[in-house]
Amino acid sequence: MTDTTPTLGELTYTRTWDAPRELVFECMTTPEHLTHFWGPVGVSTPIEKITIDLRPGGIFETVMVNDADGAEFTSRGVYVEIVPPEKLVWSEEGVEGGMTTSITFTDLGDGRCETVAHQTNVPEMYRSADAQAGMVSSFDKMAAYLATVQG
Amino acid sequence: MQTTDPLSMTFGALADPTRRAILSRLSSGEATVNELSVPFDMSLQAVSRHLKVLERAGLITRRRDAQFRPCRFAAEPLEPAVDWIVQHRRIWEERFDQLEQHLAVLQREGADPISPQSTADHRSPTTDHRTPTNKEQPS
Repeated sequence: MTDTTPTLGELTYTRTWDAPRELVFECMTTPEHLTHFWGPVGVSTPIEKITIDLRPGGIFETVMVNDADGAEFTSRGVYVEIVPPEKLVWSEEGVEGGMTTSITFTDLGDGRCETVAHQTNVPEMYRSADAQAGMVSSFDKMAAYLATVQG
Repeated sequence: MQTTDPLSMTFGALADPTRRAILSRLSSGEATVNELSVPFDMSLQAVSRHLKVLERAGLITRRRDAQFRPCRFAAEPLEPAVDWIVQHRRIWEERFDQLEQHLAVLQREGADPISPQSTADHRSPTTDHRTPTNKEQPS
């Protein structure tokens, strides 16, 4: 693989929240909340630089500021699908050759909820059901045993 | 039908469960076609076909010098993909750790958990008095 080829990848990240899904969904779609956690660690997301137009085709833009050197990184996404408080999908064309992120919010019925974040920059052509199933499970397994091999 | 770009070949090679199992076996040490055909209960021919796909994808190398040409797992084509997963997973981990803290604060403050109006009205100028930091500490 050459340096100019964006690395393709795909991941699924699941999390259980001790909070109702309406609140978690609101946190993920409101600048007043996002600014408190969008981060990640060492990176701030100033509220005045967050743009959210919560409708399909609407803008989802954040500017992440590195706490150490003030370097800014603008992430410009477009909402693809919005089903409050169940599902949120956006895509970022400018990131690593095109990134799509989807988050589903499931009510666990006891005041808790579960989110499944799925992120991929693998183009549609590589994502037949078979190829996808193969990639996701194999990459996750590879990550585990590569660590062993290289360790 | 036959793809030739490296990424397609890597993904194509990994999409098959038998080939993943072969790679898994090879990750614990090199093996010959004969040695691989036993645990996988396959003909030498079938194993060879899978190995050819893996070899074209650069996921295994085969020693030319040795008589039985043992196969060795080559992790290199997978490293960028694994790095990608590790890096992006870390972002979500850190982001959600911070959201967890934020939610704890919200719920302790007894904030109205469901306020669809404020969500719908998110584009109006904010009067949030809090400083724009993403690291709200529990008081």
